[in-house]
Amino acid sequence: MTRKAAITILGSPEEIKKRWGEAGYRPDYIDSADAGVTFKPAPGDRGTEIHVDLDKTAPGGKLGEMAMKLSGREPLAKVKDDLRRFKARVETGGIPRSEGSPEGELAERKLKQRPAQPLEKSELEKVGV
Amino acid sequence: MRANVWNGRNSVEVENVPDPTILNDRDAIVKISSTAICGSDLHLYDGYIPTMKKGDILGHEFMGEVVEKGKGVANLDIGDRVVVPFPIACGDCWACKHELYSVCENTNPNAGMAEKVFGHSSAGIFGYSHLTGGYAGGQAEYARVPFADVGPIKIEEDFSDEQVLFLSDIFPTGYFGADLCDIQGGETIAVFGAGPVGQFAIASAVLMGAERVIAIDQYDYRLQMALNKAGATDIVDFSKDPDIVEQLKELTGGRGPDAVIDAVGMEAAHGHGALHAAERVKQATRSESDRGHALRDAILACRPGGIVSVIGVYGGLLDKFPSGAFMNKGLQLRAGQCHVQKYLKPLYDHIRNGDIDPSFVVTHRMELGRAPDGFETFKHKQDECVKVVLKP
Amino acid sequence: MAFPPRPVDSTLHGVVDYMAGATLTTVFPRLAGIEGTRSARQIRTAGAAHATYSTMTDYPLGIVKAIPFKAHLALDAVGALALAATPFVTGQYRRGRSQWVPHVALGLFELASLAMTDPTGKGEFHGDIEAVREANQEDPHRKIYEGPPAVKRPVEVAALNSA
Repeated sequence: MTRKAAITILGSPEEIKKRWGEAGYRPDYIDSADAGVTFKPAPGDRGTEIHVDLDKTAPGGKLGEMAMKLSGREPLAKVKDDLRRFKARVETGGIPRSEGSPEGELAERKLKQRPAQPLEKSELEKVGV
Repeated sequence: MRANVWNGRNSVEVENVPDPTILNDRDAIVKISSTAICGSDLHLYDGYIPTMKKGDILGHEFMGEVVEKGKGVANLDIGDRVVVPFPIACGDCWACKHELYSVCENTNPNAGMAEKVFGHSSAGIFGYSHLTGGYAGGQAEYARVPFADVGPIKIEEDFSDEQVLFLSDIFPTGYFGADLCDIQGGETIAVFGAGPVGQFAIASAVLMGAERVIAIDQYDYRLQMALNKAGATDIVDFSKDPDIVEQLKELTGGRGPDAVIDAVGMEAAHGHGALHAAERVKQATRSESDRGHALRDAILACRPGGIVSVIGVYGGLLDKFPSGAFMNKGLQLRAGQCHVQKYLKPLYDHIRNGDIDPSFVVTHRMELGRAPDGFETFKHKQDECVKVVLKP
Repeated sequence: MAFPPRPVDSTLHGVVDYMAGATLTTVFPRLAGIEGTRSARQIRTAGAAHATYSTMTDYPLGIVKAIPFKAHLALDAVGALALAATPFVTGQYRRGRSQWVPHVALGLFELASLAMTDPTGKGEFHGDIEAVREANQEDPHRKIYEGPPAVKRPVEVAALNSA
């Protein structure tokens, strides 16, 4: 069972490490989980690699793991969500939002997508736009 | 606003949906003046692409006027006339910086979903299932365009919509297919599929200096368009003789074409008897998602040492790939969703120079409300249909 | 998915038709332990009839496209009920379970498959061609057959540029 995730971001390790600590960038889930985070330069012109290692085992053993996967709250998926959001913020200045996933990448959303059509005014507030 | 939405297999409907609003600083809202139905929309219509949801707005080929923009969009003004590329690209990631816009790393908010199917996510696409992000498409009156500072191209000249609309997808896609063939001048190129993308692949091969361009299809009217309009020099009508590989060998003095473009994809029509029946059964039971007749024939027909360029859309897995032919003949297999943003300017230049008039593919133009009929006519190749443009 | 879900399209239904027909006429009676009895003959006949009218159905796996798909589905339903009812009509059900259970089971299987089959026989054109022609603001035939080519060969472009 893979307990590690990695992502590569365009930027030097110094810049990336600095951003990781800043408000508005700092990833929520990885912070609250007991994860080991390391920063490495990526080969060539590719920037910086961030590696996240989830040390603790999922509560509830194998069944607990499956239950979390089904409800979209599996730790590894949430770690990956966090990494992708961080990358998008650093590289593009924001997170990608679609009509199907208006909150941006969220593991829970993948199981219950909105239809791909514009949101009503009431939904916009809920989504934080 | 009104929009054409997916309503289940073989069903689309024009419904009233909310108007789009800005969600991000780099968004713009475009009031759509023309939009089209793509061959790849048919894979959605036929139910072969997973993760569709009832109510999804379809359409990824559209153009119109900028009516609203986020604070991060400096290069466009309200009132600008723009054509919008179908892949959504951020312009800032490694892929975009290397002009690989259709595999942008930051525009699919459902990247986790795509990773499970493809290993990695590609860019977000307008109106093309939740695997590519669940973005609302452009067969509607308005559309929200993310990263409007990267994608859309401003049209300042006085061209009709249909002369520039196809910069959004099918002209760059056909051109990309021909570009992958490394045409230096004098080659023989075979194009499987004489639908709109095939027509542009043929026209692009001609523009690049290919000496012979062979169009392959089963519908005579499409082959005639290829000959009369797109610049094809030869045609192969496989409804008359199903052995495409032999006919291509004959047309090329036994050598085989120097490069072959697959502009057909996963719903390939033709197969040799038993293999076709077996594939249809496997597709019906969803144990195989893609039909590989065109790709197989392309690999068998291509001359040894040649290039097979794949721009036809595939979605999943296909059986019976001729790995022996591919390897032993030393072929190159090159593929992709077109990196449209890379080709917009050079192709707009071709249009401005008078080298090509892309409106040649349009056979049907109707009001947006007729989209369901448009889909059916296009799908079943009725009424000599090649390309349907919808006017909101 | 809509309820009840109908994932079986006309092609898949055809596959099941032929597989069922083949199995029923050949090995089914032996597998059900009723070889040599009246039941075996009844089931074999049902299988053969089913396969025969399948070959005459207007769907992707039909050979002579004579019987409309919906009519085929109606025949399936009638046949299923008839087969299930047969042991009770003839009275052979009294000879033991093996003389009626296979019939009823097959009947239920057929009815279940019908409940999951999409009766619209998708794949046929459902548009209105006249409406399309009227709504079309363009002339397809003219676009294909009239007027000059839409693309210039490089030789022509070079000549234009040097002129």
